[in-house]
Amino acid sequence: MKNRKRITTLGLAALLMMSAAAAAGCSGADKQVVIYSNADDEAVEAMKHALDGNGYEGKYLIQTFGTSELGGKLLAEGTNIEADLVTMSSFYLESAQEQNQMFQDLTFDAKPLEAYPAYYSPITKQEGAIIVNTEMMKEHNLTMPSCIKDLAKPEYANLISVTDIKSSSTAWLLMQAIVSEYGEDGAKEVLSGIYKNAGPHIESSGSAPLKKVRAGEVAAGFGLRHQAVADQAAGLPIDFVDPAEGNFSLTESVAVIDKGDKTSSQAMGMAECIIKYGRSELQQTYPLPIYEGETDDAANKSAYPKVFPEKLTVDLLKKHQELSESCK
Amino acid sequence: MLELKQIKKSYDGVTILNNMNLKIEEGEIVSILGPSGCGKTTLLNLILGITDADSGEIYFNGQNITDVPMEARGFNIVFQDYALFPNLNVYKNITYGLRNKPGISTSQEVEELIGLLGLREHLSKRIDQLSGGQKQRVALARTMVMKPKILLLDEPLSALDGVIKESIKEKIKEIAREFKLTTIIVTHDPEEALTLSDKVLIVNQGSIAQFGTPDEIISSPADSFVREFILNQLEIKRNHIFTLFRGEMESGLSSNKDADRIVKQAV
Amino acid sequence: MKNIKEKELKGIYALVIGLFLVFLLVPILLLLGKSFECEGGLGLSHYVDVLTGKGFLAAFGRSLWIASVSAVLTTFLAFILAYTIHYTNVPKGFKKFIRLAAVVPMLLPTITYGFAIIYSFGKQGLLTRLFGRQLFDIYGMNGLLIGYVIYTLPISFMLLSNTMSFIDKKFMIVSRIMGDKPLTTFFGTVIRPLAGTLAASFVQCFFLCFTDFGIPASVGGRYEVAAAVLYNEMLGSVPDFHRGAVVAMCMLIPSVLSIALLRYLEKYNIRYSRISEIERKKGPARDFCFGLLSGTILTGVLCIFAVLFIVPVVQEWPYQMHLTFRHISSVFADSRLVEVYKNSILVAVLTAFLGTLTVYGAALASARSRLPEAWKAVIDAIALVTNTIPGMVIGIAFLFAFSGTPLQNTFLIIIICNVVHFFSTPYLMMKGALSKMNASWETTARLMGDTWFRTIACVVTPNAMSTLLEVFSYYFVNAMVTVSAVIFIAGARTMVITTKIKELQYYTKFNEIFVLSLLILATNLAAKALFGYLASCRERKNKEQK
Repeated sequence: MKNRKRITTLGLAALLMMSAAAAAGCSGADKQVVIYSNADDEAVEAMKHALDGNGYEGKYLIQTFGTSELGGKLLAEGTNIEADLVTMSSFYLESAQEQNQMFQDLTFDAKPLEAYPAYYSPITKQEGAIIVNTEMMKEHNLTMPSCIKDLAKPEYANLISVTDIKSSSTAWLLMQAIVSEYGEDGAKEVLSGIYKNAGPHIESSGSAPLKKVRAGEVAAGFGLRHQAVADQAAGLPIDFVDPAEGNFSLTESVAVIDKGDKTSSQAMGMAECIIKYGRSELQQTYPLPIYEGETDDAANKSAYPKVFPEKLTVDLLKKHQELSESCK
Repeated sequence: MLELKQIKKSYDGVTILNNMNLKIEEGEIVSILGPSGCGKTTLLNLILGITDADSGEIYFNGQNITDVPMEARGFNIVFQDYALFPNLNVYKNITYGLRNKPGISTSQEVEELIGLLGLREHLSKRIDQLSGGQKQRVALARTMVMKPKILLLDEPLSALDGVIKESIKEKIKEIAREFKLTTIIVTHDPEEALTLSDKVLIVNQGSIAQFGTPDEIISSPADSFVREFILNQLEIKRNHIFTLFRGEMESGLSSNKDADRIVKQAV
Repeated sequence: MKNIKEKELKGIYALVIGLFLVFLLVPILLLLGKSFECEGGLGLSHYVDVLTGKGFLAAFGRSLWIASVSAVLTTFLAFILAYTIHYTNVPKGFKKFIRLAAVVPMLLPTITYGFAIIYSFGKQGLLTRLFGRQLFDIYGMNGLLIGYVIYTLPISFMLLSNTMSFIDKKFMIVSRIMGDKPLTTFFGTVIRPLAGTLAASFVQCFFLCFTDFGIPASVGGRYEVAAAVLYNEMLGSVPDFHRGAVVAMCMLIPSVLSIALLRYLEKYNIRYSRISEIERKKGPARDFCFGLLSGTILTGVLCIFAVLFIVPVVQEWPYQMHLTFRHISSVFADSRLVEVYKNSILVAVLTAFLGTLTVYGAALASARSRLPEAWKAVIDAIALVTNTIPGMVIGIAFLFAFSGTPLQNTFLIIIICNVVHFFSTPYLMMKGALSKMNASWETTARLMGDTWFRTIACVVTPNAMSTLLEVFSYYFVNAMVTVSAVIFIAGARTMVITTKIKELQYYTKFNEIFVLSLLILATNLAAKALFGYLASCRERKNKEQK
């Protein structure tokens, strides 16, 4: 009996200690800066390298999310969010700031080429373009598209791939282009035709259309311009077309959460570090220049860079999502 | 007449029954008596046809039924816990077999059975509303409706109270006599076996220790097993009873009448 | 006896009730409130919004439909497996295999099933390559159906097998001897006694499919079900908590109905006074057929999981097929993944501890006390409610209730969430075990001078040990595989494996996903083996004592 009692006591003690450890695990790690990010693998790696190489190794924790998930968290949780630092699509940051006043103004100036709000600074910039598989184009005797509207032509039936704006912001680049060019009603018409042609190839991931074009499952698609440039440079039968409607772009940016007294003292330093030391590696994947003094490769200079007339916000995204749903 | 010849049965290499030879005459009540694990339930299963023998043959009225399936043998059994269908009421349980073999018993015969077993007032009850003795009688009736050629009873009294026990014993005897029915009863209780049956088969470790009338077993036990395990028990019981009733015995009163009265009240 | 105050039990009762008040009632009420909250007060506007919206009712209908189809299919397959075990003479070893193989899926998170299906039946899947063509399109109805069936097969199998073992097989003899035709015997002595359980299995499977999030997350494709809608409303690109709350409340309706139905069906269970085994009728043809069917079903299930073992050890599926341990070693080299695994173990162990304590306390209060019946009914009601609420709903309710509190993003909230979420089954197990024990122990021990705690520690607990171990193991395994509730409350520091898998899905890192899944499987197998060993140790000890 004594033995059993001892075991019970020991068990209880162990339990208490473990609970304490668990609790401590939460408070003890508080010094680590939590970074929430929607960035792709390559971008995350670049940021890690920048941080690790500049004295922040082991002092941060990166947690990645899908764009929509992280967007939801930002809007919903506000400053209650676990993260100290986020990297996220800029328009989401703007909407979240408007709704929750949750970011601190940055204390450093990285000298961007364009003007951005004081509370974020871009880490990547991406443009949309039409991507084609030159062999498939020949095989199916297709004429090279010159604009997005061309993809709605019946000859492209089942031969194109696009992304769904519900899950991917790449699709928004396409939406912005056709809405700004043809107005909402015109856009509806074009998009209906495109969705009809895409059929089973409406993808949820931004890089999926390129993958399908690359694999020869479709002849053309709408995707990220820099990825097609890279493929072509690598000798794949890939070409890209800057659509006459315009090359729209989206940026992803870094921002520091304003948690009042509890704001992490290192978060700002890390934000600066990511821009200062991460950009060179980031540019290998996302070549578009953002800051003064960055290299500007001719191949990555799109023919019709454009900016959507309205301010990009989550509400606008919602509106465009509804527009897209009505075309399916 | 039921005859077992050289029956052998083993499970997983363990011999349960060894060279079993046995003859049971028509209309006899035979008890199979033995301690648990002696093989008596296996013997019952063999006769009923649930289990096949490893070797040996079974004859019924001269016909080899060793390979005849259970359903075609025409025997029937009442299990220890009665196995009444809980979703059917008493009457539906009793007449269950008539759905499959209409006319095997006439409605008059069914009525007689119900009367004989005193079940008339319980017919519309659910099974779980019955007492143990009532369930036993329902199970008996259900089986009798099928007019079995041999009636097998697995520990028919073990789940019953003392007084009910005696009344069910009487019913079993009455039925066997009334229908000239060969009845085989499995039990572990020597008193039950010796007071209920015409012949008792004592089984020990898969073999027959003795097969004879209750008188023969009492007067000339075949071996030490029968003497020590069967008779000894009865003697201890007898001595207890004698001690209890010493006064009455001495005053010359018979307690038999009292016992009878109690039994009748119980039924 | 009424004079005994049972202070200790009242204390425990208060603790248990307190726990569920704070971590079940309050969050759910907040959620309810949120769904009615609109500009300028309360109203039904969100309900109108959601219900008249284009997608929701359709998704809801699809959910109902596919959950029903899956439930029927699963119950049928599970019946074949259980029947093979209990009613045929297939070799013992094969029966043991069925018992083990049928429950393997329980040891893996549902989110893994989807990926396993993709890699089995997808364009480049293992089975697709073996057959030389894709058998069917996996995204949508087909994929969901396969996933749901695999997911619910173990539960259905355990329910049916359990009831079958409590069916008195003697009735088959009686039925046959009474002249019933084989089919009548089958319906009368197998199906009829199982009817309640068959229906219960259907309802349980339906409930699980309806509320699962892991499978639609991976193979749902364009076939949007209610669980996916809920996820998108809450964590989608444009989250709307009010609408999410409405969807959550709507998801409660079929759950509540199905559990109510389950309770109602309990009445139809036949209780046998005694269970006896009989020698089964010889039937080589029957044995062969059922053996073959069961073998096929389980091979199918195991085949789908085979990719878990294959994909991570080849260079690059399916193009470079040579063997490599690079992926596995890279997972173990990634400190972040190792950290996540440690988190999972921590959460599972603590969930098991806290859960077992909670369940034990609750069961003691309801099965071994003289507390008023109405008090006990409250605990039973809690068990019922926790069984009814989908994990996602609990997760969301926690999200509302504890955002901004110190509990947010702690392990504690995940642990408590698991304890509450999985309370029902272990509670019923524990209560059953405790109420079967001799009711006079406490009194006897008290008369001999024991305090209540001493009696519990020295008499009740040792005798309940095997059930306690089962409860512990149940909590552990479920905490390891659950994703539906924790997905809403796990933070960066409190990532567990399943939420990490969801994250890796975004990057389509299937090698890591599979390695992590295998890690979960191995951990659960080890845990099961450990608890099984402990239980058998106790049994042996008990026997020796006897």
